[in-house]
Amino acid sequence: MDPMTFSIIRHRLFRIVDEAVITLKHVSGSAITNEGHDLMVSLYRADGTLLMGGVGFLHHLTSAAEACKSIIRRFEGDIHEGDIFLLNDPYTAALHTSDIYLVSPIHHEGRLVAWSACFVHVYDIGAVNPGGFAPQAPDIYTEGFSSPGIRLVAGGEMRQDVLDTILNMVRSPEMVTLDLRSMIACNNVARDRMQSLMTKYGAKEVDGACAELVNQSEDLFRARLRELPDGQWQSRQYLDVNGDTARVNLTMTKKDDRLIFDFSGSDPQSPYSINCTKWASLGGLFAPLFPLLCYDITWNEGVLRPVEMIAPEGSIVNCTRPAPVSVATVGAIQSVNNAACSTIGKMLGASEKYRNQSTAVWHANHFAIFKFGRNQKGGDSIGILTETFAGAGGARSFADGVEIGGEIPNPISRMANVETVEAAFPVRYLFRRRAPDSGGPGEYRGGTGGELALVPHKAPDGGINYVISGKGSRHPMSEGLAGGYPGAPNSYVWVKAPEDGANTPVTAAGGLDAISGTQERVSWGVYPLMGRDALYVRWNGGGGHGDPIVRDPEAVRRDVAAGLVTLQSAGDIYGVALRDGAVDETETMAKRKSIRSARLQQEASE
Amino acid sequence: MSGQDRISASVAVKEGQAVCAACGHDLGPATKPWKDHAHRREIPLAQAGGQAYDTGHEGVLLRHFYCPGCAALLDTETAMAGDPALDDILAARG
Repeated sequence: MDPMTFSIIRHRLFRIVDEAVITLKHVSGSAITNEGHDLMVSLYRADGTLLMGGVGFLHHLTSAAEACKSIIRRFEGDIHEGDIFLLNDPYTAALHTSDIYLVSPIHHEGRLVAWSACFVHVYDIGAVNPGGFAPQAPDIYTEGFSSPGIRLVAGGEMRQDVLDTILNMVRSPEMVTLDLRSMIACNNVARDRMQSLMTKYGAKEVDGACAELVNQSEDLFRARLRELPDGQWQSRQYLDVNGDTARVNLTMTKKDDRLIFDFSGSDPQSPYSINCTKWASLGGLFAPLFPLLCYDITWNEGVLRPVEMIAPEGSIVNCTRPAPVSVATVGAIQSVNNAACSTIGKMLGASEKYRNQSTAVWHANHFAIFKFGRNQKGGDSIGILTETFAGAGGARSFADGVEIGGEIPNPISRMANVETVEAAFPVRYLFRRRAPDSGGPGEYRGGTGGELALVPHKAPDGGINYVISGKGSRHPMSEGLAGGYPGAPNSYVWVKAPEDGANTPVTAAGGLDAISGTQERVSWGVYPLMGRDALYVRWNGGGGHGDPIVRDPEAVRRDVAAGLVTLQSAGDIYGVALRDGAVDETETMAKRKSIRSARLQQEASE
Repeated sequence: MSGQDRISASVAVKEGQAVCAACGHDLGPATKPWKDHAHRREIPLAQAGGQAYDTGHEGVLLRHFYCPGCAALLDTETAMAGDPALDDILAARG
């Protein structure tokens, strides 16, 4: 194929995905899709293999490929132009029930030539808890509606009986309808544009370009792997849930042009819904691999070929039915993300050529809080606190992490404006800001996470309730690199108003400790936010890079002045003395010398 | 090990040996776990400094691996007591 035509077709595939994403957002009405960008659109070849991975949550790229393949197997000989299939069973391909895949066959001149697939986290799926994350679910049966594959649209016509059956099982069916229609519109646009492409260039020519594109990605990725050192790197994640702690262990081995991700030694599947299935783990490890190792390579089947995953059956990263998985995306999958990010970061750091691509772990712990209840307009609302998507950048080998800088597995993640949340829910923010000391200390500091506090406001029922699937309040999950500290853990606090009637303050000054009332840590289950109580949340910062006591003291001074690092940490961790807002160089040198001495003396005494 | 000059930003490789990138202290063969040759200190996370690490829970540890020569902090790990150290090693090249 001539290179010009190949490049045009390749670029056109990119644009088709982009346009489909825009369509999805224009039609969808939920904050988790429009504000948080908890979505994904990609294109697949006729056999269901990944052709063009799109943006959004990248751990869906490979799982949606499996969804396409599963539909092909289930409906063999009965797949027609204009059909759209729904699949959300985690034990078939999906990540959890509330992330629904709609997959659409794309026909040209009567022949199946490709697929488009997308997902959104639907407004509700009918699980035991509103919003889809179900910390109170003991098994998959209580995690809502689940299908291993069903035809939702037949020949371009909605199957109303199927739609009505689904809507009969969920809360806020009107919003779920909008979610489904946004995905249908998205797939329709992808299908129309692919058909136009084939009409213009010919189906055979386009398919040839697609095959070449996949082979190109494989060749480029294998070449990159050969440039990297052979070796073995390890990472470990702790997920603390409701008093229990589970481990995800990873040994990543790179040899020549192959990568093996081995999760042997990870804990058995949990009674809590943090587990994930093998398809989810596979997606979880590819989510950081795509942007960190293949930032200039098309994300498709070719990238998958050099990679092998070992995930023991019955473990937290390859659970067996009917283990609950509704919190998987922010549970075991995110830990797989983190562990893979850590080992890839280490491997890049060992490379002369790629050392500047090395990064500590970014925002490693979503907090997944779904508010629900009657809103100030009298209607029912369910919605996630989209700050969970705000993230924090991991430190790199040459620079600090970006403050509240997003996350590796979703290049377009973001949070809603405060006003958007306050317009939809009967709440007011006391504050939302960067959290001091949340970024992992290091020569280069991890980006800070954030903190916020909410109180009820004009709530017809006196407040609302929320579902919290918050792990990671004991163990830091954003690992540092090369001596950098981890980002601080998450924190979730229910502040119960004093009975003497004192008012809750409405300013940010003082943060959590300035809010009147008694503090109770919460992390897992359903809780009220009523009366004059407050909910405080702090989310983790990114991991640091390098020894904190070699950080430029002037950078530490700036951090303290900006409220990103406390005076205590400046002295205790960074060994920097500040006097009247300036660095005291003599005392700083003495302090750092003392820290070095203590490091060796303490060891000698152990 | 030809062409390979480091394991991480803090641990370099010299003539097949892992060495402290800051002072050159020998940390053993690069194809073996270098942490066996580093000074190891394990403290409760709550004592790591700053209020943000104080989660109010016992049993969460922060491990430090120092260079025995110059006290440079070479690596950290979060851990629970008794969990093995994470090993990062390079493969020997033929």
